[in-house]
Amino acid sequence: MLLARYRLNLRHFSTAMVLLVSACAQNIPEPPPRPLNLVGDVVLDQATQIPDEESLLEIGVQIFSSDGGEEDEYQIGDWVFDEIIQKETRFLPHLLKNTLVASNQWGAVRVIPESDPSLDLIVFGEIVQSDGKTLELEIRAIDSSGREWLNRVYADQVDQEEYPESTRFTLDNTFDANNFVEPFQDIYDRIANDLLSVRSTLDEQALVELNLVTDLLYARDLSPDSFAETLREDENGLLKLESLPAADDPMMARVADMKYRHHLFIDTVDEYYQTLYDDIQPAYVLWRRYSIDQIAEAETSRQEASQGNYGGSSGFLSLRQRYDRFKWSKIFEREFSDLAAGFNNELAPAFLELNSQVHGLSGTMEQQYREWRGILRRLFELENGELTTNASE
Amino acid sequence: MPLNDVTPMPRRSSRCFAAIGSAVLGLLLGTAALAQDSLPQLDLDLPLRLDFSGSWEKDFGRSDNWEDELSRTLRVRQESAARQQSSPGSSRIPSAPPISIGNINLPRSRGRGANMVNLARLAEYISRQNTIEIKQTRDEIRIERSGEAALVCGVEYELQRTFESEHGVEVCGWDGQQLVFQIMLPDDLIIMHRFTVASNQQVLNLLTSVYSKGGDPFNLRLAFNKYQAPRDEFNCIQTLSRGQVCNQSGADLSDVLDN
Repeated sequence: MLLARYRLNLRHFSTAMVLLVSACAQNIPEPPPRPLNLVGDVVLDQATQIPDEESLLEIGVQIFSSDGGEEDEYQIGDWVFDEIIQKETRFLPHLLKNTLVASNQWGAVRVIPESDPSLDLIVFGEIVQSDGKTLELEIRAIDSSGREWLNRVYADQVDQEEYPESTRFTLDNTFDANNFVEPFQDIYDRIANDLLSVRSTLDEQALVELNLVTDLLYARDLSPDSFAETLREDENGLLKLESLPAADDPMMARVADMKYRHHLFIDTVDEYYQTLYDDIQPAYVLWRRYSIDQIAEAETSRQEASQGNYGGSSGFLSLRQRYDRFKWSKIFEREFSDLAAGFNNELAPAFLELNSQVHGLSGTMEQQYREWRGILRRLFELENGELTTNASE
Repeated sequence: MPLNDVTPMPRRSSRCFAAIGSAVLGLLLGTAALAQDSLPQLDLDLPLRLDFSGSWEKDFGRSDNWEDELSRTLRVRQESAARQQSSPGSSRIPSAPPISIGNINLPRSRGRGANMVNLARLAEYISRQNTIEIKQTRDEIRIERSGEAALVCGVEYELQRTFESEHGVEVCGWDGQQLVFQIMLPDDLIIMHRFTVASNQQVLNLLTSVYSKGGDPFNLRLAFNKYQAPRDEFNCIQTLSRGQVCNQSGADLSDVLDN
């Protein structure tokens, strides 16, 4: 009975499939590739002498996010590549940070796990696309007053020649980190130059005010009640100075002390990101090299297929050729996926190390950072309480 | 009927059995949880699948010989053609592979499909492996055959697109408790693998069908017996810059990666 019902179902199933197969016989052309806003060749604008003090804004480059890709295009095993993008969100900000430092135009520049109220300017990034050939980043930069400095998508494309031979390293040919030039350096140079262009539009007064806003914003983050009246939002949603505490205000002295301690902490966090960068750079560059090789191979394969050189023959050799091409394209992709998994395996200890760095705090680096800010806030309340008690006595 | 019986079931029935199985398991787990809190979580939304895992070797005695099968197929077709000539009113039911996934943008040409001899030779060509290695988890099944890319499928009810390139598209899905992979190649050449495992999990059957331009398929049935493969002496992990890093089985590989 059950078997009979199964046969009946299968017949309906097959009939429906015949109709579907017939309905789907038409080929639809693939959509054209998305245009990229390429940055081109860029020269980093480096300062030959140290800029004025008010121009030395402190910058935080927050670890990037990723857009997560197209759900519809998801295939089994894609999680391996998602994991790589997740690692890149912690690796690529460091390249931007290094570029900003190299420009010699700014104060301290740090990679930070989360937005930070103690810094003048925060750069946020989202990885839109990243492989050995193309890097596309959506970058936003917002200062402490809420003013948007940048909000645009940057893209860069490179050739295989831009990866030096030392990136295909072996035991005899080790990776030369000192002489390696990041293939996508143009994208970071462009972002740095764009930030500089925005800064040049601000006069001295605006920069001084921005520094003060940052100080008070951090004070308000430590003690919202005490500093609630110092800043106000204007009609454009930007924070403006409402009142300034006295220069010898003991609470502001405490805030400065807390800020100093906080910056020691985020300097340490930044050092951990630097260590992570140093640890994974050789494997990451090698991974990108494999990636661009794979893209070149896929392009060749696509061209072969578009030439339609299957000949329309239905002889055995032609059938076998069709199957073999499919088989090898699948094996090749599988190997690439294995390499991606190998890359993740190789990096796992470095990320584990990063997340277990800050002694006494637990969780990921992001959680440790949040925990640290909470500790500072409680410490400030405690010390401030003592201060109030002493004053009343 | 036991849950792992090999008899194919309609999808609704299999869901029903899976749901009953899940409910029973859930009840058992719930009872056990009273005694032990640290039991692993079971995702009741995932269907239960028969266990295909293990090392399998071809049973030549019970597998089709492709030349014999070709002769048989050609004879059946001749007899069928003769019957049609004697009763002109009867019409042939068109054959089609069981899965359709919509537009796949592969090159197509006009003309007739491949003849049965060439389809048979291709079926033999892609079924030459004498052993199969299958790994199965609660979420995924992976079929390794030497010289071929692994066939990987999830256990979900939905049709899954597992690989796609300009040279072809592979999808997989479950027809009851049978695992089906379908590969669509240019010029309407379609290869289908249908895996079935016996309820005692000692015999694996693989039906490979090759279709060309909607014509009749050539079917090749292969039987495999489970065997005990020797245990791997080495425990390996893939790395990017150092290739496979191995040590003796059982030892922790994290030290190797750290160095």
